[in-house]
Amino acid sequence: MLPENLAYALTQVLHNFGAVGVMGGAAFALLVPVAAPERVARLVAAGWVLQIASGAAFGGVGFYYYGRLPDLHAIAAGALAVKLVCAAGGLALTLALAARGPVWAATRRQEAWWAVTTLAAAALAAAAFLRWFA
Amino acid sequence: MPWSPKRLPLAFLLALALAPAAAGAAEAFVRITAPAEGAKLDSMDLAKLAYEVVPGPKGDHVHVYVDGKEVGILRRLKGSYTLETLTPGQRTLCVKVVNKGHVPIGVEQCVKVTVE
Repeated sequence: MLPENLAYALTQVLHNFGAVGVMGGAAFALLVPVAAPERVARLVAAGWVLQIASGAAFGGVGFYYYGRLPDLHAIAAGALAVKLVCAAGGLALTLALAARGPVWAATRRQEAWWAVTTLAAAALAAAAFLRWFA
Repeated sequence: MPWSPKRLPLAFLLALALAPAAAGAAEAFVRITAPAEGAKLDSMDLAKLAYEVVPGPKGDHVHVYVDGKEVGILRRLKGSYTLETLTPGQRTLCVKVVNKGHVPIGVEQCVKVTVE
């Protein structure tokens, strides 16, 4: 087996766990009342960081082996842009929830978790287009 | 060394790494069978690009390019691809083998055609 495939597979493992963290964590915080939501926010923020780092690593693996980044079709490039916007927004919101969430009004917190859940869902949906239209 | 379930993931990765790369061992190549180099195409017709590919051990599928812009993804190793209407002028059509991460691995063929 090619080491390149192993590198892609391990990167995919991290990316998948990041996806579980952002989607599952956000949905959990939205639906289940928890005693310390800021801890969930930190977990989800870690998920976004993992998503961003492993996403960049996909490009890095190709660059390491072939000296160039992936070629993307216009649809895939659009999907990647959606993912990047979602990741940036999701990370910013969860960091804000972790730092300031406890002093926010309950409705504001709820709206923020709705936004994070929506961004996570949009990022996951865009990932499918990036995968199959690239 | 005593067996421990904690070693299972490591054993799995080791087995994968040592598995022989039997499939796809043939040498990679791309052959564009149509249009031919220097062919003249009618801008009013939908041009078909016919190709044959062996992706080799590092390749996975192929991308089609017109003047350096990716226009299609092909997962069949032999077939044809209908190009969108080409604007008049000299155009370069390329088929490149890419890996699973969509990175061109350096196996490709290009033909220059004139669209009238």
